[in-house]
Amino acid sequence: MTETLYIVFITIIKTAIYFGILLLHVAYATYAERKIIAHIQLRLGPMVVGSHGLLQPIADVVKLLFKEDIIPSNVDKRIFTIAPLISLTAALSTFAVIPVSEEWVISDLNVGILYVFGVAGIGTYGIIFAGWSSNSKYAFLGGLRSAAQMISYEVALAMSLVGVILMAESFSLVEIVNKKMEYSYGMFLFPQILGYFVFIVAMLAETNRVPFDLPEAETELVAGYFVEYSGIRFSMFYLAEYLAMFCMSALAAICFWGGWTVPPFLLEIFPFLSIVPGVVWFLLKVYFHMFLFFWLRGTLPRYRYDQLMAIGWKVLLPIALVNIVITSLIKYYL
Amino acid sequence: MKIGEVLKKVFLIEIFKGLVLTLRMLLSKSVTIQYPFEKRKVHEGFRGRHALVRDSSTGTDKCIGCMRCSAVCPSRCIEIKREKRENKMVVVDYIIDASRCIYCAYCVETCPTCAIVLTEEYEYSSYSRDGLIFNKERMLRNWDEFAEKWEKDFYFNKFWQPPGIDPSKWPKTKREQGPIQLKYL
Repeated sequence: MTETLYIVFITIIKTAIYFGILLLHVAYATYAERKIIAHIQLRLGPMVVGSHGLLQPIADVVKLLFKEDIIPSNVDKRIFTIAPLISLTAALSTFAVIPVSEEWVISDLNVGILYVFGVAGIGTYGIIFAGWSSNSKYAFLGGLRSAAQMISYEVALAMSLVGVILMAESFSLVEIVNKKMEYSYGMFLFPQILGYFVFIVAMLAETNRVPFDLPEAETELVAGYFVEYSGIRFSMFYLAEYLAMFCMSALAAICFWGGWTVPPFLLEIFPFLSIVPGVVWFLLKVYFHMFLFFWLRGTLPRYRYDQLMAIGWKVLLPIALVNIVITSLIKYYL
Repeated sequence: MKIGEVLKKVFLIEIFKGLVLTLRMLLSKSVTIQYPFEKRKVHEGFRGRHALVRDSSTGTDKCIGCMRCSAVCPSRCIEIKREKRENKMVVVDYIIDASRCIYCAYCVETCPTCAIVLTEEYEYSSYSRDGLIFNKERMLRNWDEFAEKWEKDFYFNKFWQPPGIDPSKWPKTKREQGPIQLKYL
């Protein structure tokens, strides 16, 4: 009994620390995004609040917290109020299985990848509920688009990771990273380059980011499914989106870039790299993928809806299937 | 489709080109001027706040009340009040409504005595309309404020002697107008 209590206690503390750091990351991801996009467009971005605008995210959070939470008169009140909670809870829950380093994981599930996809799928309900209950054309269209997009790209996303799972012979995210160290190249990025490509494209679509941001297409749907939201509920959707981005970046870092490890061949050339703690490597890899999100946002225009569907079903899915077949054949005969 | 085009499509060459471009822009210097803290250089011929040149010999303006500026003004924002005193026209007041002015500088070009000028000063927004209606006193004060800020010793406005017109057709005062000395050593 005391042992159970001890485990519960430790887990709660771990979760609090993990999520605290995570939310800080999310706040500064918005800052990083604004800065990076601004500099791509030869602007400066936020500069006034604090040195180089460093306190801007905090000012934004305070502003959002104190804003009036407007609930329009014709909305379905109950669903309208819980929709952002569903999105946020689902987005936060995915991090329960994502390991930061070998010791730092809240729960090392043996079906970690499946859990991430399952819980991330629940987040789609938040978006659909928000779109439906808002009783607004724009929100409704955004919600529908989001549903179609999430369903289409979740297939490609999951398929792209099958190759990695086959090579690692495990669904556990910790196990996947540990398995990599048995190979001299140390990253599944090299044998699974096709899978990585599919993953990157599907990850953009799955998190509703440019160039696949149709659910919240600013120029056509104003803001998509969360047009009617304001104040804290609006920020919950925002938070959920950035958490999903971090989740996908972490997955990419773990499944393709080797998480907190450095490839053994690099360690042989530069032995001093082993001094750097694993968390640093993991964060660097995550930041790279976050930068990729922002970089692509600053570069690409939005795809048309039919193009989006065509890319998902006619390009990404076949590539992912070919990747699976090749991987299994090599795995079987070698 | 040729093989080259197919390869271009398969390897997303265009997207990578775009990514390289945006990365280059990301690393290059941004062009923003942070206005209240940084001010951009005002170029010669900038048309800003109106002023009446204070003549150092008489201590007041040089306006002779010929009404040319008022007549040429496209937006009719110049009102000159004159009175006949001792058989002589005297300018009582000179009023410009800056909120109606279109800053064409025709008044400056046409002034025979080079009395009016559009200075390089541009930060003069006001909370009330009255603040943008300049009378003679205010216009002279505008000149003093501008002269104080001017960094060089001499000032010459290029619209006093507009190019493209034969100088022999100008009145003598306009033709012989030179740079005005603002700072006395």
